[in-house]
Amino acid sequence: MISRRVLLGTGAVVAGVAAALGAAEATHVLDDAAPALGVDPKPEPDPQDDRIVRAAARDQAALLAMIEATAARHPGLELAPFEAIGREHLAAVGGSTATTDVGRVPESARAAVTTLRTAYDKQSRARAAQAAAAVSPALVRVLASMSVGLAQCAVTIGDL
Amino acid sequence: MTTPTEAMQDWLALEHEAVWLYPVIGARFPQDERATTSFSDHRLTRDRLLARLHATGAAPATPHLAYGKPPASRKAAVAAAKDMESRISAACLALTGVTEGAPRTFAVEELRRAALAALVWGAEPQAFPGLD
Repeated sequence: MISRRVLLGTGAVVAGVAAALGAAEATHVLDDAAPALGVDPKPEPDPQDDRIVRAAARDQAALLAMIEATAARHPGLELAPFEAIGREHLAAVGGSTATTDVGRVPESARAAVTTLRTAYDKQSRARAAQAAAAVSPALVRVLASMSVGLAQCAVTIGDL
Repeated sequence: MTTPTEAMQDWLALEHEAVWLYPVIGARFPQDERATTSFSDHRLTRDRLLARLHATGAAPATPHLAYGKPPASRKAAVAAAKDMESRISAACLALTGVTEGAPRTFAVEELRRAALAALVWGAEPQAFPGLD
């Protein structure tokens, strides 16, 4: 079995380098940024992978914020395992919920669960599509695995 | 680096094992319909993999006569099924990273099937199915 620690480490580097190089491009200091991060500056992350990681990070941040808001609004729902998985997913793609805007959480717990299930389904499909399009084998595996982890969450949360 | 054919052979070897395991579980615990469904699913996946390997000109991995002792209890059967789906998830995930296009999509779809089958057998959701 593929080592989760090694693969996620690779994914985190892809995410970190993509973010840093994105900033470097804006200030034209690309060659200095990668050594500062302690990684080989060549080859650069594929631009396609860069875009995918950024999009996945935004999506996963929004999903985690939604889960956390639902947990706060409906403390009777046992969402702690889903929050933990959401944090692992977000860490893998290097995102943050700090500036994420969360929509209104449904007043009914049943409706809130349905909303979360729909969100999990949507994000599972999105990660699968990104896995199909990604270039780096490590990133492909991280996204494919995330996709089915999200599918598992969709099924399981529907049972709450 | 593992080639796509090697990754498919590794996966096929596990599908052969699954096609042995689930009838064994079904015979011992006939009231458990999960075994019937799992057998049908894995037989189909095995046949798809055989077709893909034949199409590449490779000689597909062959099945063993048996894969250890049959599970002696319902608890052992459930554990064996969860372990089977977990190992198949890992094999599918390995293939995703060394293919592109339709074969990669096939591997992701089967990874999803195996991960959801694990839930049917009582596994908890994981952040990263297929990674240990």
